[in-house]
Formats: sequence, C-alpha cells, structure tokens
Amino acid sequence: MTLQSSTSQLASPKDKAVTSAQDSRLDWWSIAAITPAIIVLLGFLFLFFYGVFQSLTDLKFGRPLVHFIGLNNYAALIKTGDFWNSVRATLVYAGSAVLAQAVLGLALAKLFATDVFLARVMRPVILLPLVLPPMSVALMWTTMMDPQNGIMNYLLSLAGISRFAWISDPNTAMFSLVLIDVWTYTPFFALIIFAGLQGINEEIKEAARVNGAKGWATFLHIELPLITPYILIAAVFRLIESLNQFDIIFGTTQGGPGNSTSVLSVRAYITAFQNLAFGRGAALMVVNWMIVLIGTFAMVKLWRLVRQRVG
Amino acid sequence: MRLKRPTSTNLILNLLVGICALILAFPLVWIVMTSLKQQAEVMTWPPTFLFVPTLDNFRVLFDVAQAGATSYGTIKVDFLTPITNSVVIALGSVIISLLIGVPAGYVLARRDIPLKEDIAFFILGFRFAPVLLVVIPLFSVFQAIGLYDTYIGMIWVYQVVTLPMIVWLSRSYIEEIPKDIEEAAAMDGAKPVRVVLHIVLPLLKPGLIGASLLIFLLAWHNFALGLILSSTKAPVTVALLKLLNPGVQFYPVMAAGLVVTMVIPVILIVIGQRHLERGLTFGAVK
Repeated sequence: MTLQSSTSQLASPKDKAVTSAQDSRLDWWSIAAITPAIIVLLGFLFLFFYGVFQSLTDLKFGRPLVHFIGLNNYAALIKTGDFWNSVRATLVYAGSAVLAQAVLGLALAKLFATDVFLARVMRPVILLPLVLPPMSVALMWTTMMDPQNGIMNYLLSLAGISRFAWISDPNTAMFSLVLIDVWTYTPFFALIIFAGLQGINEEIKEAARVNGAKGWATFLHIELPLITPYILIAAVFRLIESLNQFDIIFGTTQGGPGNSTSVLSVRAYITAFQNLAFGRGAALMVVNWMIVLIGTFAMVKLWRLVRQRVG
Repeated sequence: MRLKRPTSTNLILNLLVGICALILAFPLVWIVMTSLKQQAEVMTWPPTFLFVPTLDNFRVLFDVAQAGATSYGTIKVDFLTPITNSVVIALGSVIISLLIGVPAGYVLARRDIPLKEDIAFFILGFRFAPVLLVVIPLFSVFQAIGLYDTYIGMIWVYQVVTLPMIVWLSRSYIEEIPKDIEEAAAMDGAKPVRVVLHIVLPLLKPGLIGASLLIFLLAWHNFALGLILSSTKAPVTVALLKLLNPGVQFYPVMAAGLVVTMVIPVILIVIGQRHLERGLTFGAVK
C-alpha cells in the first residue's frame, strides 16, 4: 500500500516531466526545421534594406568613396521630365493591361464555363501563355510584330488594314506592349474567375431563373457580385506584377523607341547597369516599389469593401 | 445540373471557344513554323504557310564546331551552354527549395511556434518582392565575395523566387492531409520524425512533385537575375535576347531558340496541368 502510493506519487510528476520534455523537444525540432528558410529570406530582406540605403548615396560603379547624400537622388529625379515620363509609362502600362485583362478574362472564363464540347477539350490551352518564359513571349511577339514582314501585319492586311508600326513607333509601342501583356496574362484572370464561377451554388442561379430573371439579369445581379472579389484579388496580383514588369518590356523595346515605353524598372536597370549610377538606379526602384505598395493597398481596401458587401 | 441549349447556341459557343483557343495557340504554331523555315522564306511577303521544313536553324544553334558553314555566314552561336546553365540552376534551385522549404511548410501547417502567422505572411510577401531592388545591391555584394557568375550564387539568389512558393504550396498540401493519421501513428508510439518520414512524406509525394514542376518552371522563366548576376553561367533566357542583336535576318534562328525554351514548359503542361493551374493561381485561389 505504501509502496504503491509512493510509486504512483513518483510516477505522476515524472510523467509530466517526460511529456513537457517531449513538448519542448518538439518545439526545438520545429524551430530547427523552419530556421534555414527564414535565414535565407532574411538575407534577401537585408539586401532590400541595403538597396533602400544605397538609394540615399551617390554610389557609382568603380567609385572608391561613397557619400551619404540623403534624398538628393530623389530630388534630382523629380526635376527631370524623363522621370515623370517613366512614372506615367509604368502607370499606363499596368493600368490598361490589368483593366483589359479583367474584362477579357471574365469573358473567357464565362465562355469556358459553358462547358460545351470544345471548352472541355481546349481547357489546357488556357494555360499555354502562362507557362512560357516572359522573355520568350517578348521575343516571339517581336518577331511577329516586325513592321516589314511580320505575320501581324499580314493578318491586318487580310482585313484590309494597312501596315502598322507596332513596337517600332513611339506612338504605337505602348499599345503593342499592353497587347502582349494582355495576351499573356488574360488566362490568369480566366483561371481565377473560372474557379469563382464554379463556387457559385447552382441553386442560387436556379432560384433566380424560377423567379423569372433573364440570363443577362442573372449574370449582372447575382453572378457578377459574387465573383467580383475573385476579379479583384486577381487584379491585385496582376497589378503588382505588371507594375514591376521588366522581362516583356526589356525583351521588346528596352524602353524605346525614344522614351515611349521606358517604365521605371527598365529605367532603373539602364541607370544602374548601363550608366553605372547604382544609387540613382536604386532610388528609381524605391519609387517603383512605393507605387506598387500604394496600388496594392488601394486594391486590397477595395477588395475588403466588396467582400463585406457581398457577405 | 447542365442546362439544355438549342443546337445553334451550342454551335456558336463552340465556335467562340475555338476562336479563343486559336488566338492563344496561334503565336506558338507560327513560331514553330518560322523555326523550320529557310532564311529566304522568312523574308518573303506575303508570309508562306506551306514550305519544305528544314532543321538548319537548330543546327546553327547547337553545332558550334560547324559554325560558319551556314547561310548566315560565320556566326557562332553556343546555345548548349546556356541550356545546361538553366537546367543546372533550375534543378539546383528546386532541390534546395525542397530541402529547406518543405520542413518550414510542415511546421507552419502543423506545429505551434511563436509568431507563426507573422512568419507565414513574411514569407508570402516575397511573392511581391521588387526583384531589381534586391539585385542592385546584390551585384556589388556578389562581386565582393566572389559569387558573381557562379552556379552556387545563382541557385542561392533564385531562392527569392522559388523558396516562398514551395513553403506556401507544401503548407497548403500538408493541411489537406487529415491530421488523424498522424495522431493515430503518434498514439501507437511512433516518434514525430518517423511519423513525418514514413507517413506524411509518402502522402505528400504527389503534391510535392506538382510543386516541384511549378517552381522548376518559375526558375526556367527567370531573366533579370541571370542578366545582372552572371555572364558565362547565364541562363537560356539571357542567351535568347543575344540572338536578337545581329538584326532582322536572324529571326529563324531565334525562332528555333524560342522553340527550345518553350518545349519544356509545354511538356510540363501535359504532365501536370492540374498542379500547374493550382500553382499559377496560388494565393488568389486556395
């Protein structure tokens, strides 16, 4: 009896000690497992801040002495027309591309959601533009948009339209680039909106139909509000990426002709790696990043608002 | 419930889908055709749709020894090295990302650690990292520590693209595995490490293969990192741009180069359409 009680008395704290040891050991395992990933990514975060710091210096490649010059890079930038032209080009490119993709992506998703025979067979084709390297897409379209003997001008001539200059004319270059972006990323919107459409309860649509709602009215008043959050979240992703777009523009026009497509990221690259003014280039990228931040913030706010209303 | 449509509506819808598919696929078909044409045929107006295919352009790309014996004069193109570089860098990035990303994904899915949600959000934030802002300072750092133009340096810097993706994808795949299975095994006395290795990992395999396909693709796509941080170890996307420099008459060879860079992604669609769809829209659709 005494022996038994003493063993049971002994056993319970020991059990507790074992489990708590196991718990803390588990925790250490977890922390050990997640640490390498965090270290690697913290390295990049450090580089990011280092880049922001560089934008406050007069760093040039090969210059031995680097001075901290505060906001001078930014002050010099905002005095030039080229800088504002780049800001405008960035906003025009991203804004018009995302808007066109949202509308066309919605149409494409609705079309494939009809589930007709070809829609089922052709489904993988939607993925096609998304899996190609953006640089390959850029060069592919450069070939096709050749003003002399590109296939695009041939197709236009079939429709009776005379030669178009595409990316070789300052007036049409931006339009051509937006067209390339739209071809490439409309499928991204389509995939996300398609997922949204499939989430809509058939019963809701059926109820609307029974109540006498016509097809168009069902779409406008029932489907569209329900998929608007999907459209907006896709727009957030695309807005961020197209404000940062480098590959497609660098692969086609490198910012030209003239200054017509010189978005901030391309101008930053040229400033940093062709003119070797690293500090100035970093400043351009910081401006680009702040535009991305403001744009994302506004879109997320809009998304929250819509989601609240839809419920 | 599928609604019945009149045959005419059905026909029109099919036609519209067909047109969309044509718009999406035609540029690729055209590039493949261009890559199989002779130089003279590419320059003709109107463009020809029927021609005798030739593999000459691919020979120019790869046959370094015989360069000069073509209709392009003495142009030397070494396309094999950049392809090797891309494969090495992309495979290396996938392996490193799997090794350090999957454990992190597991912890974020299953374990309680301090600041878990903050860490998860911090990692997702890299999906939107301004890559050029990271690369500008990295250029001087790489020059200083001797990582410029090395495979190790490239694989490390590619982690900025691939690692966040694999952490999030593996986390979402692990969350789909029922927790009961692990708890039952733990109840039977299996050690946590054994549970992960022998029970979670086999269940996770299909998801991990899909995620690996996707991040291989992302690594294959990358251009800016290679452009700035490498020269002889530059990936194939950078080599492509160089094909453009000699001017217009180089189009068919460039088309051949484009076909080479596009073959792998298209094969990946065939093997893993479902996984790619999920990965490409990841973050926006769960």
